[in-house]
Amino acid sequence: MLFPDLIHLTTSSFVAYRLRSFLTGLGIAIGITAVILLTSIGEGLRQFVLAEFSQFGTNIINIQPGRTQTHGANVGIFGSVKTISIEDAQALRHLPNIEYVDPSMMGNAEVRFNGRTRRTMVHGHGHEMPNIFSMKVQTGSFLPDDDPIQPRALVVLGSKVSQELFAGQNPLGSYLRVGGQRYRVVGVMEPKGQILGFDLDDTVFIPAARALELFNRPGLMEIHVSYKANVELQSVVNSITALLKERHGREDFTLVPQEKALEVLGSVLDVITFAVGALGGISLLVGGVGILTIMTMAVTERTSEIGLLRALGARERQVLMLFLGEAMLLSALGGLAGLLLGAGIAQALHLMFPALPVHTPWLFAALAELSAITIGLAAGVTPAIRAARLDPVEALRAE
Amino acid sequence: MIQLENVSRVFAVGDQQVAALRGIDLNIAAGDYVSIMGPSGSGKSTLLNLIGLLDRPSSGTYRLDGGNVTDLDDVQQARVRSKKIGFVFQAFHLVPRLTAATNIELPLILAGIPAAERKARVAQLLENYGLADRADHRPDQLSGGQRQRVAIARATSMHPAVLLADEPTGNLDQATGKEVMNLLEQLVAQQVTLIIVTHDPAIGGRAQRQLHMVDGQIINQTGSAVNT
Amino acid sequence: MRLIDVVQFASGSLRGSRVRTLLMILAMSIGVAAVVVLTGLGEGARRYVINQFSSLGTNLVIVLPGRTETAGIGPGMLLGQIPRELTLDDAQALLRSRAIGRIAPLTIGSSQISHEARNREVVVLGSTANLLEIRHMNLGQGQFLPAGDIRSSESVCVLGAKIKHELFGQQPSIGAWVRLGDRRFRVVGIMAAQGESMGFNTDELVIIPVASAHMLFNTSGLFRILVEAKSRDAIEQAKRDAEQILQVRHHGERDVTVIRQDAVLATFDRILHALTLAVGGIAAISLAVAGILIMNVMLITVSQRVREIGLLKALGAPAAQIKNLFFAEAILLSGVGSVAGLALGEIGVRMIGQIYPSLPVAAPWWAVLAALGTSFGTGILFSVWPARRAARLDPVMALARS
Ligand SMILES: Nc1ncnc2c1ncn2[C@@H]1O[C@H](COP(=O)(O)OP(=O)(O)OP(=O)(O)O)[C@@H](O)[C@H]1O
Ligand SMILES: [Mg+2]
Repeated sequence: MLFPDLIHLTTSSFVAYRLRSFLTGLGIAIGITAVILLTSIGEGLRQFVLAEFSQFGTNIINIQPGRTQTHGANVGIFGSVKTISIEDAQALRHLPNIEYVDPSMMGNAEVRFNGRTRRTMVHGHGHEMPNIFSMKVQTGSFLPDDDPIQPRALVVLGSKVSQELFAGQNPLGSYLRVGGQRYRVVGVMEPKGQILGFDLDDTVFIPAARALELFNRPGLMEIHVSYKANVELQSVVNSITALLKERHGREDFTLVPQEKALEVLGSVLDVITFAVGALGGISLLVGGVGILTIMTMAVTERTSEIGLLRALGARERQVLMLFLGEAMLLSALGGLAGLLLGAGIAQALHLMFPALPVHTPWLFAALAELSAITIGLAAGVTPAIRAARLDPVEALRAE
Repeated sequence: MIQLENVSRVFAVGDQQVAALRGIDLNIAAGDYVSIMGPSGSGKSTLLNLIGLLDRPSSGTYRLDGGNVTDLDDVQQARVRSKKIGFVFQAFHLVPRLTAATNIELPLILAGIPAAERKARVAQLLENYGLADRADHRPDQLSGGQRQRVAIARATSMHPAVLLADEPTGNLDQATGKEVMNLLEQLVAQQVTLIIVTHDPAIGGRAQRQLHMVDGQIINQTGSAVNT
Repeated sequence: MRLIDVVQFASGSLRGSRVRTLLMILAMSIGVAAVVVLTGLGEGARRYVINQFSSLGTNLVIVLPGRTETAGIGPGMLLGQIPRELTLDDAQALLRSRAIGRIAPLTIGSSQISHEARNREVVVLGSTANLLEIRHMNLGQGQFLPAGDIRSSESVCVLGAKIKHELFGQQPSIGAWVRLGDRRFRVVGIMAAQGESMGFNTDELVIIPVASAHMLFNTSGLFRILVEAKSRDAIEQAKRDAEQILQVRHHGERDVTVIRQDAVLATFDRILHALTLAVGGIAAISLAVAGILIMNVMLITVSQRVREIGLLKALGAPAAQIKNLFFAEAILLSGVGSVAGLALGEIGVRMIGQIYPSLPVAAPWWAVLAALGTSFGTGILFSVWPARRAARLDPVMALARS
C-alpha cells in the first residue's frame, strides 16, 4: 500500500464518522488547549521576570558581605561583624577589566521639604550607578564623582518623590531633609516604574558614605561591579576574590554574578512552567482514553470491513497501519485544533488583561503536538492489533 | 490448478469437535467452471474459504498452481490472495463510506499499484460493468444488482486466476441474478477459474461441473472435468 | 417501567460491552482522582504552613523597625536598615500595655564560633529567657538563657543541636566555654534537634542574651520584638498599644511596623487556598473531556442500537422512557467512575502521605464534593443530546434499518 493511499483510506473513515471523530478530536483538543494556555502564561511570566532582571545587563557581579550559608540564606545582611567598605569598592576600581563600581546601601527614611514629608526608600550609591543599571537622569545630573569617603550632601530624586514633594516645580537647587540632614537636589531621575514590586521612582539617591552614616551601619550592603563585555566571567570573579581576600585576610564575602543568578532563576521558572503544563496534561491523558474507547468501538463496528480487506489480500500489517493511522490522525488534528485554540485564548487573554504577559513557547507547542500524536499512537495500538489479528473468515461472517 | 488431497477441517466448539469438511479430494483445472451445491451447513462456504486461502485445512494438502499452499503463513497467504484469487460475496461486502470507484480500486491500493495505473484500470472496469455513471456513488446509493457488479469488478481488478463466489445471487431477484451470472460466466470465457456456491439448482446447473456436498463430503459430481 | 427495571436495563447494556464501559469509567476516574490528589496536595501545603506558623507561637504580634505603607513585606523591613532603631528600652516599654503578656527582643548577626581547634560561622541570636516559650522552642539539655534583667550581658550561650555536634561531637558541652568573636561564653544549654521550620533552623543557631549580642556586634538596635498578647482577644489591643507606645517614645513618629502573626497567616492561607482552587480547576478540565467521551460513546451507541430502540418503541415504550434509559446509563457510568476515581485519589493521597510524612495531605471535603458534582454533572449534561436523539427515533424507520 502506498502512503497517500493510507492517508486517503484513513481520512475516508474520518469523514464518514464526522461527529464522533470531531468529539474524539475535541477531547484531545481540550487537553492540548489546557497545556498550551498554561505554558503560554507560564512562559510569559518567565520571560517577563527574566526581562525585568536582565534589563540591567548581565555583566554585573554583586558582592555581599558574609559567606553564603548552607541553606542559601546570606546572614551577612543581618549586620555582621564583617563588612565590606567603601574603601573595598575603591580598591576594586583598580582591577583590570572592571568598568564601573557602585558601593550601595539601602534603607527607609523620611524625606521632608517645605512641610511636606514622605517616607521613601533611600538608596546610597556611588556616582557610577546609572552606568551599571542603565538608569537615566531626566533633569540635572546624577551624584558627582566626589570624595567617596566624605561626599557632599547631594541628593537625586526619583520621579515620584519629585512629583510628590515639588508638585511640578523645578526641584534643582532646593534643599530637602533626608532623615534629618539637609541635602541639595542635583537631579531627577527618569520614571522607571516598578521592578518586581520595588518602586524605583519612590526613591531618593544619596552618596553611599552618607547613607552609611544615616543608617548608622558599619559596612555596605552590596557592591555592584560591571565588567567589560568581552571578558570571561570567571577571570573577573577570580581577580575580585583575590583582591578582597588580601584586604580582609579571609573569604568573608560572597560574589553573585548576575548571569548565574539569572540562570538559576530561569531554570526554576522553567520547572514551574513545565509543572503547570503537566497539570494540563491530565486532560490529554483522558483524551487518550477517549481515543482508545472510540477505536475499540470502531474495530467492533467495522469487523466485516476488516474481513473484506483481508479477503482482498490485505496483510495484518496493512490493517494495523490503517487503524493506527486513523487514531493518529484523530489525535493530530485534535492536537492542532488545541494548539490554535490555546494560543488564541492566550492572546485574547493578553488583549483583555495587558498586564498578563503571555508567550506561546513554540518548543512546547511542538512537544504538545508530538505528545498528542504519541497518545493517539499509544491509544490506537491495542485496537489496531485487535483488528489486525481478527480471523478473516470470522470477520466476514460478522454482520 | 487446484488440488485438494484428503482435506479435512474441524472446528472446536467448546469441547466439541465439529467436522465441517471430511476427507475432501478435489481437482479443478484452470478455466474450469464449477458449482457447489448442498444443504445448509454441509460445508460449502468452509470449502470455498479454504480454497481462497482465508482458512487452513486441519489435515490434508492443498496445492495451488502446483505449489503446496497448505501451510503458508499469514503474509504469504495474503500475497497469494491478492494476486490469484478474487471473492464475490452474497452480502456484497462493499465498504459503505467509499465510492463505487474506490471500492473497485481497493485491491489495487492494497497491492501498492501506482495511482495512474489504478485509475486507468478502474475506469476500464467501470466501463465494462456498466457502472461508468455510478463511479462516485456510495454503496447505499446503488441497487443490489449494481452493488454486486461493483463487487465483481473489484474481484477481477487484480486479474485473478480463480474467482470464488459464495451465493452471489442470494440477495438478488431472479432477473438481476441472471444478469450477474452472465457477467461471471463471461469471465470463464477469459480463462478464469470460477467456483460458485449456490442453493439454486437452475444457477448451479449452468456450470460445466457440479459438486454436491452433504455433511462435509462431496457425494456426487455431475458434468466432467475438462482436464485434470 | 419501574426505576429498578430502568437501572437493570441500563447496567445490562453497559455490561454487554465491557471494554468500552471500563474505558469510560477509567476516563472519569482519572479526572476525579486528579482533582482529589491535586487539591489534597494543595490543602496539605496549606495545613503545613498553618501548622508551622502556629508552632512558631500563638497570639503573636511582631514589631519591626521601619514603616511600610502596605502590611506586606517591603524591602526596608526585610533588611532592617532604618534611620531610627528599636531599642531595648522600646521593648521594655511595651510591657506597660495591659494586653501584652510577654515580650522577647531579637537581634541577629553572624559570627565565628570556636571551641579548641574547631570553628565555624554561625548565626547568633540575641534574646531573652522568654523567647523559649514565646516561640515554642524545645530545649534538649541544660537550661535556657537565665531570666532576669533584660540588660544583663551575661556571657552564657545556648547552642543549636548541630552546632553542638560540630564543636563537641559526643563530648559533654554544658559548662564548657566557647569563643564568639572576641568574647568567651559558657554553654548552659543545648536546643533540641528540630530541623527546618519556615526557613529558620534552630539547629544551626547560637542564642545569647540580647545585651551580650549588642556588645558583640557593637550595636544597640533590635531586629524585631516578639510580643505575646495575653489572649486571643487581646491581640488587636496589643497591636494598637504597641503602635501607640512606640509612637510616643519616637517623638510622635510612626516609624515602626507592627503586624499580627495571624494576619500574615491569613494571607498565606488565602494564597494557598486560591492555588488549591486553581490547581483543582485545571484538573477538573479533564472531567469535561471525560464527559465529552461519554457523550460520544452514547451517540454511537444510539446509532448502533437503532433497531433495539425501534423495537422498544414498537412494544409501547414512550419517548420519555427511552430517554430515561440513556440517562440511567450515563449516571451509572459517571457514578461508578467517580467512586473509582475517589478510591484511586485516596490511594494517591495516602501514598504521598507515606512519602512525605510531614505534609498533612488530605483532599478537602469541598473538592471531593465538587469532583463528584462535576463528574455527575458532565455525565448527565453530555448524555442529554444522545438521549434525545434516541427518544426521537422514528420506530418504523428504526425497525426497517438493518
Ligand atoms: N467458525 C466456525 N466455528 C464452528 N463451526 C463452524 C464454523 N464455521 C463453520 N462451522 C460449521 O461448519 C459447518 C459448515 O458450515 P458452512 O458455513 O461451511 O456451511 P454452508 O454449507 O456454507 O451453509 P450455508 O448454505 O447455510 O451457507 C456447519 O455445521 C457450521 O456450523
Ligand atoms: Mg455458506
